[in-house]
Amino acid sequence: MTFNVTEILEIPTGVGSITVENLVYFAVIVLVGVAVARFVATNTRRILQERLAANERELFVKLVYYIIILWAVVVALPQLNVNLSGLLVAGGVAGLVIAFASQSVVSNLVSGLFLMFEHPIKIGDNVNVAGVTGSVEDVRVLSTVVKMYDGIYVRIPNEKVFTSNITNYVHNPARRFEYQLRIRYQDDANEAIRITKEVIETHPFALRSPAPSVFVDTLGDSSVNLTAYIWAPARNWWDVRTDLLWKIKQALEANNIEIPAPRRTVVFPEGSEAKTLAPGMVGKEEIFEKEE
Amino acid sequence: MMFGRYSGTFRHEFDEIQVEAAEVNGLLTYRRRCEGEAFERILVSNTGEIIINPVEPVNLPREITNYLMMEFSPMVIESGASRTVYLKFPVEIGVFLESTRDMEVLDIFGLGTQKYTLYGSPNNGIIARWYRSTVSSEFPEVGCLCQGVMELSISNASNEWVEVSHAVFNSTDMKIYYDDVVATTATMRILSPTLAETNFIDAPLRPGMVKSVELYTARKIPTINRGYLMEWGLS
Repeated sequence: MTFNVTEILEIPTGVGSITVENLVYFAVIVLVGVAVARFVATNTRRILQERLAANERELFVKLVYYIIILWAVVVALPQLNVNLSGLLVAGGVAGLVIAFASQSVVSNLVSGLFLMFEHPIKIGDNVNVAGVTGSVEDVRVLSTVVKMYDGIYVRIPNEKVFTSNITNYVHNPARRFEYQLRIRYQDDANEAIRITKEVIETHPFALRSPAPSVFVDTLGDSSVNLTAYIWAPARNWWDVRTDLLWKIKQALEANNIEIPAPRRTVVFPEGSEAKTLAPGMVGKEEIFEKEE
Repeated sequence: MMFGRYSGTFRHEFDEIQVEAAEVNGLLTYRRRCEGEAFERILVSNTGEIIINPVEPVNLPREITNYLMMEFSPMVIESGASRTVYLKFPVEIGVFLESTRDMEVLDIFGLGTQKYTLYGSPNNGIIARWYRSTVSSEFPEVGCLCQGVMELSISNASNEWVEVSHAVFNSTDMKIYYDDVVATTATMRILSPTLAETNFIDAPLRPGMVKSVELYTARKIPTINRGYLMEWGLS
């Protein structure tokens, strides 16, 4: 049994006058278009690697990629006997139908475009969107991908991102964090404030301006409560926060300023008497002695 | 002085810095120790050379900004007046690997501490490396490996008296030269009591100085020398 390629290519498909040859040409043109688009996109990404921010770079690369594919499809369509001038009219009607049929897709698409132009979030930002906290991996046309801090991948439809409250933790260059420090009543609060400020001063990323603020905030049941407000670069604040607290604690302890254990004074009514004291229990007299 | 170009093995010790390229178990190894911190890399190269020179001081302890803020004693400048003063700026030391085809940053280190600050407001200001300097009318003496000399020409182009106590620079424009001292030349043009333009001049402070390899050149990051517009006040 022999095959004649020319005869096979001329076999009509049954749709108008489209033959297998037309279908093959269409497929080849589109595939070449996709290959060219991938090649151009890869090289564009490589060239712009260090010249453009990741967000703008990916947006530009995607734009280039889809324009080339669209161009390939437009070039290939005459193979399917599609009249492009007619397509414009049909496209309008079809667009309307598609818009109704795929309302949520269109909504996500439009939201995605707004997100790309408004820039409330960028790739790499630490955000909280729709209750999801993590770093933005990608802002796509239909969805935004967030990698949570425990490494979980979350895809959020752009419509939800656009209509949700977005908290961008790194949008501003600097942010403030605070510590609550407790010291004993007999410790010198002014000395504790001075030592705390000195430790903060030695950290390179605890910003000099806005200056850190350390003050006596409240007088607690068993401690004097200090509050320290510290500004740090928004992208480094967590490192500063985790780094400084232990250093402050060590510096205070080195100067005999200690964090007190919670203490409660129990006063027994006049005439009552403890019968037996288990080891470790404290008698009435001892309590009064401590208070003095 | 440790700044220069090296091929093969070498060794330098200065203050708390020890830099060397030595054969270790038959492998050329770059080793650096600075203030107790060590860094080591095995080098595999046929033609490569090591360049050590001062670089833009915005990389330690970690690179988070391009900006450098110099704070100095407040100066009150008359409208139309200009003056050249000398400041001391922090120096970081860059180690580069250079071959005929490429240049790569191998190591950056420096003596002393760093401090960063916010210039402007928390919502639209910039983070800058902060350094306080004395102001002098003549070329000051500096410790070569931790400080350099900045010749700053300040001119007041506004119609008012202006008080200035800090200058913010974009380090991507910074041109550093060295011989036995590290130096750079900068300008500050005051446009109003809250606005000034700063920039660096690509010229040695004195004849015979060698130009440093810039980090942005080594990292192949294209930059446009535009200077910096200080929009959030001058003091």
